[in-house]
Amino acid sequence: MCDFSKLWSSDVVKIFPILCGSTSQILQSPKEEVFQNVCRQMSELGSVGIETLTDIVKLEMRSTIRNVIVPKFWVHFQVPRKETVSDPNALFAKFIEAVNELHESYQYLLQMQTRLIQLNRNGPSKTLEKQVVDENGTKTWLRDAMLAQLPPNFDVVIGAFYSVHFRLFTKDIYFSSNTIDSEVLSDLPCTGCNFEVQKCCCQKLIEMVNKTNQKLLELGLIDRLAGSSMTALIKQKIKEHINDTCLGIFDRSHLKELETWLQDVIMSWLRNIFTGGKQCDINECETIQGFKVKLTYFMYETFAQSVISRFFSIIIDYPDSTPAINDLKICMEKIDMRVYITKTLRNALEARLLHPGVNTMDILTGYVAAIKAIRHLDNTGVILEMVTAPIKDYLRKRNDTVRRVVTGLTEEGPTDLSEELAKGESVKDGKDNTTDELSNWENWEPDPFGIDPNILRNTSSKIMRSADIISMVVDIYGSKELFMVEYRNLMADRLLAQLDFNSEKEIRNLELLKIRFGESLLHSCEVMLKDVTDSKRINSHIHGDGNCNENQLFDISSLIVSAQFWPSFNKESLQLPEEIENEFKKYTKAYEAYKGNRTLNWRTVTGRVNILIEIGDRTMEMTVAPTQAVIIYHFQNKSEWGLEELSSLIKVPPSALRRRMSFWQNHGLISETHPGVFTLIEKESEKSQFEEMNITDADEEDLESAMASASDQREEELQVFWSYIVGMLTNLDSMPIDRIHQMLKLFASHSGGVEFTQDELKHFLQRKVREHKLLFSGGVYQLAK
Amino acid sequence: MKLTIKSWTGVASWRWIANDENCGICRMSFESTCPECALPGDDCPLVWGVCSHCFHMHCIVKWLNLQPLNKQCPMCRQSWKFNIH
Ligand SMILES: [Zn+2]
Ligand SMILES: [Zn+2]
Ligand SMILES: [Zn+2]
Repeated sequence: MCDFSKLWSSDVVKIFPILCGSTSQILQSPKEEVFQNVCRQMSELGSVGIETLTDIVKLEMRSTIRNVIVPKFWVHFQVPRKETVSDPNALFAKFIEAVNELHESYQYLLQMQTRLIQLNRNGPSKTLEKQVVDENGTKTWLRDAMLAQLPPNFDVVIGAFYSVHFRLFTKDIYFSSNTIDSEVLSDLPCTGCNFEVQKCCCQKLIEMVNKTNQKLLELGLIDRLAGSSMTALIKQKIKEHINDTCLGIFDRSHLKELETWLQDVIMSWLRNIFTGGKQCDINECETIQGFKVKLTYFMYETFAQSVISRFFSIIIDYPDSTPAINDLKICMEKIDMRVYITKTLRNALEARLLHPGVNTMDILTGYVAAIKAIRHLDNTGVILEMVTAPIKDYLRKRNDTVRRVVTGLTEEGPTDLSEELAKGESVKDGKDNTTDELSNWENWEPDPFGIDPNILRNTSSKIMRSADIISMVVDIYGSKELFMVEYRNLMADRLLAQLDFNSEKEIRNLELLKIRFGESLLHSCEVMLKDVTDSKRINSHIHGDGNCNENQLFDISSLIVSAQFWPSFNKESLQLPEEIENEFKKYTKAYEAYKGNRTLNWRTVTGRVNILIEIGDRTMEMTVAPTQAVIIYHFQNKSEWGLEELSSLIKVPPSALRRRMSFWQNHGLISETHPGVFTLIEKESEKSQFEEMNITDADEEDLESAMASASDQREEELQVFWSYIVGMLTNLDSMPIDRIHQMLKLFASHSGGVEFTQDELKHFLQRKVREHKLLFSGGVYQLAK
Repeated sequence: MKLTIKSWTGVASWRWIANDENCGICRMSFESTCPECALPGDDCPLVWGVCSHCFHMHCIVKWLNLQPLNKQCPMCRQSWKFNIH
């Protein structure tokens, strides 16, 4: 028996210093005889001896890894919070030091391992060799222990290291892309190492980095240790790059450039890391491939999000922004983003368009632009339908929407609706679509994935497939009929305002609308326009009739309407002076003679009168409304009129007459000399003012519709509340409009819910003021006594 | 002051000179059309019977065609004769 304790203290610890607590010192190899001595003596103990020693050494190695090496490594990563932000260079150095230490310890462990193998090889039992020879054993122990003791925030240091590395690596790329001239450049610190250019240490730093990476690679730790930090860093870089190069630029495509950048910068950096800086062109390993897939996906996603976040601008810029939409389409083929797009777009449109501060025309313009841009993005119409639903709901609640749509259709403007109308596509109904779809089966696309099937069902044929802007706009109201009624009202207004018997443009619009909406809905409009052309013919017939022209005071032309087909006229009246009325009787007679069994009812208040006024040595030719002509007519023979007196003569209510009178006051012809008394001014002194007056064709009042408008019809409904208003005002004497509105709403909610706005109420109350049923002064309404 | 009216463009609605407002056959207003027509007035005229009742021409003609034996005014049952003015 040998002296085991002597052998242990003299020779065994020489071979395995780890057994006496040494961890990092790399010793010279013990002499061969030491080995042989240990081997021989151990052999005497039989295979158990070496086996036991091997187990002891292995245990000690693992314990050293767990208790000494790994804790020592992680100590470097305990960063006080402040440093995390302040100095990446210090962290950079720290990391290198930590890896160097770790690597040294690893080398030492490997040495122990080698000796263990050597010992076993020389020993009697070869069977154990296999177990001990597992060279990766040490590496695995180390890695497992490292990960088991992972401190929080460990990636701060690693992140700092790799961000310095990234800066060093991309230095040249930024050089070539920045066009700073070289003189300026030499004064700036090096973009890689931040030292002055003369003292640039990039090369040295790069070498250090490469060595560190090589060590990590050797330890098999790089992926586990640095993978997530690198990914986070790269994602950050991708975001920054997209922000720097793509944000807000919609008129060109970015995807190709981004792909190139990812390949040239990011992937070659990663390749550099995973080869430890060696230039050799290794086959891309699985890790790199994995990164590439992940990062490409992330880049597309980030880019798409950045485009989507600005989609409102894209809508406004469309079609200039087409490249951005095409890019987004490509992204959508790779990533399912429909739900995200829908949500973001809805919110953006709501935030930008759908509030009281935006006027209806602008909302409509936005709506049309959104239709165009979104249907370019998604031709199935699903996104469009979901994104624009809130706009439609909102527009439906605005009472001037139809009016604006009609204006948009008939006049050139920001909505481009008139252009769309002129394109003359017909509205596709459900039937046409099915056949379309069948005949077009080669281009059929399945319904998009990830969309609530209920929505698909609801929006099925019509809106889904038809990308017709006009029908999308008319669809706001859900009813073509309502739209057509308003169209008719507005057309009547236009025809009566122009009175020029020139309806070519209207006929053209009507033809286009008929193609889209069918003839039946537009039948009234057709009769109205026929009235215009018939009137023209009748006028020229009557003008050519010699009998009629005898002793004629002035030419009369008339728009002769088929009242059943026009919107109902409002109830304004005007009594013509006898002399003038006789002229109209002549015209009527001529009409009766021309069209047997038919006669005319004149609507005296509507029309246009061309007059010549001679006063003193001044003359003035102008076109005015009939009421104004009649007013001034009566001042010929009597230069002073009381308001009531003239009012009852021409059958215009005093309040309306007063408003009409202001037209002549503005022209300096009449002045209110006493309250309610109007006098003609014939003095020369007014001459200059008179001539400078801007002669307008008609005053503001004449722009009012001659038709009973929708709001008139609304007022009829409000008539229900009149007795209630009278009751309130009897009890409370006087009230401002908002109080009246509040109380009526209260009342209305109990009586079956007629809803009305304060504006509508105001119209109604103002009519009552005109009818002398109410007084309005100082912001409050009172009953007229 | 002297006012000269040079020209006047007015607005009037036309109507038939008739005793009634609606056609006794189709119940539509005379100024409207018979059920078959689209355009009122010249294209869908009125006619009078000697009994002084009047109808859309298309309405009375259709009515008379349905009465092969006694061509009567649908209002007063007198035998129908057109009153040519
Ligand atoms: Zn009839
Ligand atoms: Zn007819
Ligand atoms: Zn009869």
